[in-house]
Amino acid sequence: MKALDEQDHYEVLEVQPGAGYEEIERAYRLTRDAYSDGAMGLYSVFSNEDAAVIRGRIDEAYRVLSDPGDRERYDAEVGIKRQEPITPMAAARDFTDASISDREEYEREARVAAAEVATAVEVIEDVDADIDEENQSFDGAALRRSRMRRGVELDQISDVTKVTVKYLRYIEDEAFDRLPAEVYVRGFVSAYARAIGLDARRVANTYMERVEAARAPSKRTSRSASAY
Amino acid sequence: MTLDREGTEGMDGTSSSARMPGGTSGDHAVSQPARIISVGGGKGGVGKSFVLANMATCLARAGYRVIAVDADLEGANLHTCLGAPTPTASLADFVAQREDDLGKLVFDTPIPGVRMIAGTHANLSEAQPTHLRRVRLMRGLRRLQADFVLLDLGAGVHSAVLDYFLVADEGLVVVSPEPTSLENAYTFLRAAFYRRMRLAMVGHGVRKLVTTAMDQRNESGLRTPLDLLREIESLDGADGARFVQTMREFRPRIVVNNVRTAEDIKLGFAMSSVCRKYFGIDAEYLGYVNQDEDVRLSIAAKTPLVEFRPKSDAAIYLERIARKVAAGRSLSSDKSSTSPVQSRAQSPIQPPIQSTTHTKHTNSPGSGRRF
Repeated sequence: MKALDEQDHYEVLEVQPGAGYEEIERAYRLTRDAYSDGAMGLYSVFSNEDAAVIRGRIDEAYRVLSDPGDRERYDAEVGIKRQEPITPMAAARDFTDASISDREEYEREARVAAAEVATAVEVIEDVDADIDEENQSFDGAALRRSRMRRGVELDQISDVTKVTVKYLRYIEDEAFDRLPAEVYVRGFVSAYARAIGLDARRVANTYMERVEAARAPSKRTSRSASAY
Repeated sequence: MTLDREGTEGMDGTSSSARMPGGTSGDHAVSQPARIISVGGGKGGVGKSFVLANMATCLARAGYRVIAVDADLEGANLHTCLGAPTPTASLADFVAQREDDLGKLVFDTPIPGVRMIAGTHANLSEAQPTHLRRVRLMRGLRRLQADFVLLDLGAGVHSAVLDYFLVADEGLVVVSPEPTSLENAYTFLRAAFYRRMRLAMVGHGVRKLVTTAMDQRNESGLRTPLDLLREIESLDGADGARFVQTMREFRPRIVVNNVRTAEDIKLGFAMSSVCRKYFGIDAEYLGYVNQDEDVRLSIAAKTPLVEFRPKSDAAIYLERIARKVAAGRSLSSDKSSTSPVQSRAQSPIQPPIQSTTHTKHTNSPGSGRRF
């Protein structure tokens, strides 16, 4: 048990010494977020000054651990031995260097934001979290759950898809009578699904069954049979 | 701080062997003692009783014998969350020593498999039991014929509330994403931390160490409970280390209720990190429940949400929390695949079968969320 000033970089970021690059990246985002200025989670425990000190330590830990060379030197210095080499994080950095259009930038940001919470939330939701996404027919509530799990807000999806928040909300609420013709709804739902990394075709197909069933009451069968 | 002999024994004992799952406690060696889970959080109105009532329902559906206990004598309402009528007998009868057998206070609720001890107060002046009575209460709860005993704690940091929290096998802290709730939750955790510390001091010869550490507070710049633990650890190797280990076994788990945004969801991680960096303890983020109109409706209907709207988002999140709470407890396999409709028709209480342990990977569509 050590005070902050005695903790090593891994302890500061709350990861194991064997943590891979992605894990460190995720831990950094989460802790950085948790100790941001005025963060609610600190209220009444850590002052802004405390938080600033902790942030400084978090940044320093990240700076060292995110650089393969620095990390190796640091590990040697504090006596951490590792069985397997750490895979460098080529992909993420190369991606930011490439020149990308605004739209791709939006999409990337949405994905990063989504991955940030999604990976973190996996910790608390384990395997079953994805079971509905694999087996389930998608209704509005399932879409919202998938979105929430990724930590994505509707306006972020709207930025990426150019579908207004109003319609995205109708889709989640299954306000079928307020949605436009089915051909448009299919397009909206596909875009929504793509934006949060779901299989657009499968989501659209199962969702549209619900729309059709609702709009033609005589054919209403799928609702009660849906997977959950 | 003085403790009577009985209190010392009861409190200290539960921090070691009796806390272990499957641990036997003397005169009660045959059947597994009930696992006690307390649900607290400091602030009123954050959804403790709501979360507890739903957790109880989920566990009962999964085939566990569940007794929900309303230990919030000053603001008892758990019976309403479970749709039970205002009870005639309650925990207050035990506290006031009108009834010594807790088993006689247990009654059925409309939810199959969930029984309860209500907490309606007879007289506010006697709402909090004496320390000795609390120890008896905790022992009595452990002997109840149940797999899980869920304790609904009141708001505030009364020593009775803290003791229920500390002596339970597991303590859940429910917060909602607002500064007032966090403030009270941290106050609650801090109070629980120091109370646990005092109780642990009796068992180990570290009282002096703690006093010394406290005395040196200014010189050594102790600011957080973590600093204090470090100081104690450094003063005396063996005793200090053992004491610190006892403190580290204090592992509350966090539930964030009423989340609306991704930011709210992340709050649980922040709290968990603060617990590590401030208290030096592991506080796992157990899960969250989203804000949902169905929640309000279910409360108005006096029915747990997982019964009222089993398909709502919030119900699904509540089931995930219950599943994590149940992890490690054995479960009968035929029960694991029953739908809520089927389980209603079945005998509500069946002892779980020891040999089969449910794993998440056996989930199939339709039954996946029913444990």
